[in-house]
Amino acid sequence: MPEIRRNIRQNHLTLAQRILSVALDRGMRRGDHLPEQVFSDACGVSRTPIRSAFKLLEERNILEWRAEEGYFLALGSAEELSATIRDLAESEHSIAHQILSDRAERRLGEVQSVSALSRRYKAPRAAVLNALKVLSKDGLVRQLPGRAWAFQPLIDSPDAAEDSFDFRILMERQAILAPDFALDTQRAGLMREQMARFVSAEEGSVTAAGFRQIDIAFHTLIAECSGNRFLRGSLIAHHRLRQASQKIAPSPEFRLRQAMEEHLEILDSLEHSQFQLAADQIVVHLRRSRIRKPQAANRGIPPLAKGPRA
Amino acid sequence: MTRPLEIAFFPEASFGAALNCVGIAQELQRQGAVPVFICHPGFTGVFAEYGFKEYHLPETAASSAAAIADYWQEFTNTHVPHFNLDPLAQLPTYVAPTWKAIVETAMTVEDDLARLLGQIRPDAIVLDNVIMFPAIARAGCPWIRIVSCAETEIPDPAVPPYLSGLAPEDTAAIDIFSAAYQEATGSVHRRYNRFRKKHGLPALPAPLFLEPSPTLNLMLSPRVVRYARDIPLPPDRFVFLEGCVRKESQFEMPRLPVSDGPLVYVSFGSLGAVDTQLIKRMIAVFETIEARFLVNVGAMIEAYDRIPDNVHLGSWFPQPSVIGQAALVIHHGGNNSFCEALYHGVPSLVMPYCWDGHDNAQRAQATQVGRRIDRARWDAESLRDEINALLQDDTMRSKLAVVSDRMQRNPGTKRAAAEILGALTSEPAPHPAGAAPD
Repeated sequence: MPEIRRNIRQNHLTLAQRILSVALDRGMRRGDHLPEQVFSDACGVSRTPIRSAFKLLEERNILEWRAEEGYFLALGSAEELSATIRDLAESEHSIAHQILSDRAERRLGEVQSVSALSRRYKAPRAAVLNALKVLSKDGLVRQLPGRAWAFQPLIDSPDAAEDSFDFRILMERQAILAPDFALDTQRAGLMREQMARFVSAEEGSVTAAGFRQIDIAFHTLIAECSGNRFLRGSLIAHHRLRQASQKIAPSPEFRLRQAMEEHLEILDSLEHSQFQLAADQIVVHLRRSRIRKPQAANRGIPPLAKGPRA
Repeated sequence: MTRPLEIAFFPEASFGAALNCVGIAQELQRQGAVPVFICHPGFTGVFAEYGFKEYHLPETAASSAAAIADYWQEFTNTHVPHFNLDPLAQLPTYVAPTWKAIVETAMTVEDDLARLLGQIRPDAIVLDNVIMFPAIARAGCPWIRIVSCAETEIPDPAVPPYLSGLAPEDTAAIDIFSAAYQEATGSVHRRYNRFRKKHGLPALPAPLFLEPSPTLNLMLSPRVVRYARDIPLPPDRFVFLEGCVRKESQFEMPRLPVSDGPLVYVSFGSLGAVDTQLIKRMIAVFETIEARFLVNVGAMIEAYDRIPDNVHLGSWFPQPSVIGQAALVIHHGGNNSFCEALYHGVPSLVMPYCWDGHDNAQRAQATQVGRRIDRARWDAESLRDEINALLQDDTMRSKLAVVSDRMQRNPGTKRAAAEILGALTSEPAPHPAGAAPD
């Protein structure tokens, strides 16, 4: 029973994050009304879970309830909303999140024991074990024979990011070209709104974190619409890995907007069922995004495209 | 309707020069010009990410990925130990071989550069480099020089020699250094002059490898660190900027397990990042200090593990926006890092390892906007003491606040763009080919 309760609460936390993302995308500010039906449509769920998620957000002073009027936003700025979304995501699996974050930051070695993690996070062994199980469900850790747990490869270095792009260039193209690709037009419409708002936002107001949130959602949407179940599964898992372990790559604002425009062009082609064109566009988009700065440069020496050999 | 001026930037293949030029190009674009970039192999995409058209010098057999990786491996093995030497001892071991490589690069790209300039046909060329390319002087348009190293790059009897790390009052050491410099670089300088002669350019007096532009020279030394020159530079051709700090995308501070304490940013440039042993020793000290550290480890991130809770490693940071949030910057004395710290009123702890880093380290200490620390002679206690002292130095911070205010009120990028456009519009006649007198 406690397990079921925990799962329900986690679903509400996930939905609460989506609600705030929609509010953020729509440029909502403190005091704006959140109509249940609008958010029900935007999140693709019925009004009952929306109400529960609103309640959860009210408990955390993120929304304000006014009798006979409904729920209103109690936060003032886009930055506050972004930070709150991040907090909610972290609180969803706080120990799991900390473990993964520390591994991505190279604070934890590749192999860990429950006892060591329990000491580091001052948490009961059962809580750490649960966290490891959560991570293992996403393929991020693997239990070794005995009591040790080993981290699986993360996207935590420039070379790992390069491998990730190689993988995606192969797979995302095929995901689009696989027979029976079916675009989820409702979600695509919402994504288009988000992406168009990003492109037209004022100079200096877009962030790499904001870009990444939309970027992962867009590429996940493409994966989910693929007609090939195995491509679908592999890509969804890979995007989860990106979300979980890849550091936000700082990029010039020009490139962030340009990349978002490329998303919109891909979406245009998908909506027109021009799958070959969309597949070519996604390859160009990923190739542009993978261009790396020289890893080392100095006067008189040709710039080094990759890290020196260890 | 007049055609907008097309201005070709040609920065050397280093991040400092490349990103300086990006800052100025962004301003020129805002003021209606069309900046484009000529870039070395390996820098492909760096300027396109900022929205600029790129023209690429072709790769050569020597610039294949494998050849370059081998070159860097050998460079690292050979030169990392030299970085611990003093500037005088670096002359034969590091400076002379580097000048040799720079001259060879200039000779190698000459024909391709001439071809690219013939293709672009720019209205002006902006050169941010330490060496002249005959193709630029012969391009049939004005060229503008950016002096993005320390001010010592432009000699004067009252200014200590370039790369010496000396103070003006170190007269005996200056004589020794100058003589040793001539001896170390004499042969490559003669070779370079032969190359110039072959391409119709007059010889340069030693130790110069690059003459001032007859049109405009932009000096990046902020007022606080400038020298009192014996021979003032002609103000119609030399313009001092208050640094040249570009705007970068907003930096979002990562969450560290240790969430309080002042923020210290550490970067030795992409070259300095190859010395992972040094940075690991420093990280072990950072762990004992009540502060948070962002450390730029460049390409070498996979060489690190067991990072302390108050340290965050990154392969790339949008440096100007990170420094804007920092209380201290530990760097190698690269002119960009130094100017960015001054621009944001942040003290510098300079640990130089080569080139003009020595000059900026000396100048930071002499002008009391930072301190110098010797990379070969520190231990945990002395490094910790230097960091803590700078974090608590309110006198330095007050001085830097004034410096920062002046620099931010006179942004170098805007001034540079205005000076370039002013020089071009008041001087419509292009220079005749080959005429680039000193």
